[in-house]
Amino acid sequence: MAKVAYYPGCALNERSSHLDRSARDATEILGFELDELESWTCCGAVPPVSKERIMNLIAPSRILKDVRDSGRDMLITICDFCYNTLKRTNFSIRNDDIIRKRVNAFLADDTPSRTYLEEDTTPWSDYEGEVKVVHLMEYLRDELGYAEITKKLKRSLKGLKIAPYYGCVMLRPFDEIQLDNPENPTIMEDFVRALEAEPVKYPYRTECCGSYLSVSSPDASTRLCYRILSSAMKNGADAIVVSCPLCFYNLDSRQKVVLDAYPDFKTIPVFYFTQLLSLALGVETDRQGFERHYVDVSPALEKIGNSGEGDKA
Amino acid sequence: MKRIGVFVCHCGINIAGTVDVERVAREAEKMPGVAFAMDYIYMCSEPGQLLVREKIKEEKLDAVIIAACSPNLHESTFRAAAEEAGLNPWQCEIANIREQCSWIHSDRKKATEKAIKIVGTIVGKIRLNESLEPISVSITKKALVIGGGIAGIQAALDIADSGYPVILVEKDSSIGGHMAQLSETFPTLDCSQCILTPKMVAVGKHPNITLMTYSEIEEVSGYVGNFKVKIRRKATSVNWSTCTGCGLCTEKCPAKVPSEFDRGLTTRGAIYVPFPQAVPNKPVIDRDNCIYYKTGKCKLCEKVCEIGAIDFDQEDLIIEEEIGAIITATGYETLPIADLPHYGAGEVPDVIDGLAFERILSASGPTTGEVRRPSDGMIPKEVVFVQCAGSRDPERFKPYCSKICCMYTTKHALLYKHRVHDGQPYVFYIDIRTGGKGYEEFYHNAEEEEGIVYLRGKVAKIFRDGDKTVVWGTDTLTGRNIEIAADLVVLATAIVPTESTAELANKLRIQTGPNGFLSEAHPKLRPVECINAGFFIAGVGQGPKDIPETVAQASGAACKVISLFSRDHLEQDPTVAWVDEDLCSGCRTCISVCPYDAREYDEEKEIVTVNEALCEGCGSCVAACSCGATQQRNLSDSQIKSMVTASLGGE
Repeated sequence: MAKVAYYPGCALNERSSHLDRSARDATEILGFELDELESWTCCGAVPPVSKERIMNLIAPSRILKDVRDSGRDMLITICDFCYNTLKRTNFSIRNDDIIRKRVNAFLADDTPSRTYLEEDTTPWSDYEGEVKVVHLMEYLRDELGYAEITKKLKRSLKGLKIAPYYGCVMLRPFDEIQLDNPENPTIMEDFVRALEAEPVKYPYRTECCGSYLSVSSPDASTRLCYRILSSAMKNGADAIVVSCPLCFYNLDSRQKVVLDAYPDFKTIPVFYFTQLLSLALGVETDRQGFERHYVDVSPALEKIGNSGEGDKA
Repeated sequence: MKRIGVFVCHCGINIAGTVDVERVAREAEKMPGVAFAMDYIYMCSEPGQLLVREKIKEEKLDAVIIAACSPNLHESTFRAAAEEAGLNPWQCEIANIREQCSWIHSDRKKATEKAIKIVGTIVGKIRLNESLEPISVSITKKALVIGGGIAGIQAALDIADSGYPVILVEKDSSIGGHMAQLSETFPTLDCSQCILTPKMVAVGKHPNITLMTYSEIEEVSGYVGNFKVKIRRKATSVNWSTCTGCGLCTEKCPAKVPSEFDRGLTTRGAIYVPFPQAVPNKPVIDRDNCIYYKTGKCKLCEKVCEIGAIDFDQEDLIIEEEIGAIITATGYETLPIADLPHYGAGEVPDVIDGLAFERILSASGPTTGEVRRPSDGMIPKEVVFVQCAGSRDPERFKPYCSKICCMYTTKHALLYKHRVHDGQPYVFYIDIRTGGKGYEEFYHNAEEEEGIVYLRGKVAKIFRDGDKTVVWGTDTLTGRNIEIAADLVVLATAIVPTESTAELANKLRIQTGPNGFLSEAHPKLRPVECINAGFFIAGVGQGPKDIPETVAQASGAACKVISLFSRDHLEQDPTVAWVDEDLCSGCRTCISVCPYDAREYDEEKEIVTVNEALCEGCGSCVAACSCGATQQRNLSDSQIKSMVTASLGGE
């Protein structure tokens, strides 16, 4: 089976490990393996929100360099924040001579301390952005092709109206990410269609969920989440699909607070895109970790028949 | 040996700021053949020209070099001065030390060295310059105007009124252009059609104007005074000479096509007249949408036409015309809303552009002038006008200002307020630009007296929420974000050149700028001429402008054509290719490389000759000639050799 280097990132390794599992389950059925890096650190997750030019690029550059040194040229992530961090780091290294030199100087500097990597005898060479950073959804669209997924569906999601939520970091800044039109994207809608569900378009799909404000000023995040979730429901959505663990946390767990703050609010299930994918490919419902969601997903599952047995099988 | 004079111009500080002009003059004096050299602050001024004339006589000069700006600007000025002093004009040359030296360099020492070398190359050239006589060519006194909007209409009428024949070519079936779509015009609020249609009728009736609508330019060859133009008259599928324009066919046609004239707010048939006041008022069949052409069945129009004017088998006609001058007035389109994803990408029904709102305001429009929104016909109570939708946005869309939007948006808000008294218009703007007679007063009145709310800031996002269209923007004066749940949103979308402009410019071999607008020969002093002789431009095809400016430019272009036609002969530059008949082997390589069809094979002499009227002096054949038989006048191989030597610092 083909292997693609895979960077899970912290959230998917710990708090949201069920999402990581669904991704591995799904890709195995699709015929490739997410090959987790032998050793990796946190990507830092700060370049999107920090003005510092060098320090925050060191950790992601180290990860990317390790991928390159292991002889691979592509790295998959399934988290928007990791994707944004790694891809923008790569962009800076590729396009800015000064950043490239300074980052590599740091990387060269910390090599001696990394003696725990016994086989690391490769001669030093600067990391120049050789690795291509790919979001799993991007890989499915461009490398595998959405049509391939549809062919392998075991349990069509027909009848389910799903509202894709893009958030901010998956698409922006466009010059550096170049994944889809940041104002009028289609990659997630097309993904939902590949699973034979019906995508719901609503105006708040590219608005911010509050991101880290969830920690520092939760009220702001609550207000934003309320607007996003109710806009999706108003447009007929049965469920939301996201591709970022932080969006997932905000849009799912925060519904508890939204309920307190807005009496008219009704909850809506939130899925990670890998969960929908693995469900549709026939992976059992009880492997999805739905019990870890705040909002009960069963109303949505009932619409497609949640027996766990593929109706296409 | 020739006695050469060198005159070095300071051009104020334009040259003298970077180049040590005195040193250039001193060094020039040492060059072989140079008998006299001097510098002067403004060589092109009258005292400067007088100096040149006096020195030619005093110093008994045989040739003069003016080291100054580009020959595009003042070559003719100084050649005339030289001629006045008794020299042959081709014994005067320009050494360009401004555009090609002082303006592009900052190091004074190096720039001075370069200026000396540039003068040196021209000294090397002029030593061998022959005295020449201009080539005289006749003029076909007939003009071609491309585009039947207000610019083309005005230009055609002005030329025709002065007695010269004009062919007016329009790609649509009627003339009138965008002005015919407008409701009322700023700042006087007179009805657009009322002032336009008399001119359209005048064009249709003018004995000197041949109107060719539903036609496009196929090919243009030749040169100023003697163009050959092929015009494609597209098949209208209706015999216009017998059609009476009764309109029965257009009423009965069962096809439904979004009306271009009404910006998609209404539909038309596949056989249609774009609007009731069309000139000529004759229908055409739009074959892409005609049921008969698509399925082979229908022909309803043929059945109802009592005269039998419908002709399904009509074919395109190619008409060849001889023309003396060409005015291009191709006009504009607006940036499609589909290109603005943050403004709904054209998918929100109550987000329309300015031209659609013109149709809604127009008494002849789909709502007969009542303001009703497209989605459900409701009278909108809150309307948001968004300026600079795609303009002044160099990162994502167009870097330039579309110029007319501040005024027409003010007009829109005002007319809306006049029709819906309890309605509230909002205008988002970056800056309000009201340069023009009576414009600022018009805006001031709208803002102060009419209750239009102006919000300084850009709109971030527009989306549909229920039956409202929500606008998110920022008021940069209060620093607050604003959300308006509007009933209708009108975008002042960026003005862009028509789609066909680039292709047409290519056929005519005229220039366009970075944003696709037609380029004028000089931004200030030659605003209606193209670099290529015989071509003129008018209207928004050259850049965004309002109606008064368009009409002024069109009349300007027409006057240029009339002044060209007032002469009996044109004088053409004689620095063209010539053939040494003894050397020519008749290999005909030159014929294959000539872009102007100026080389002809002489069967009798078995050599290739040059048609001097067609030759542009590009030098392609000179370079291609393997036996050295083809030479260019005043740019011979030996002249080029001595120029190269001088530019490398040799003598």
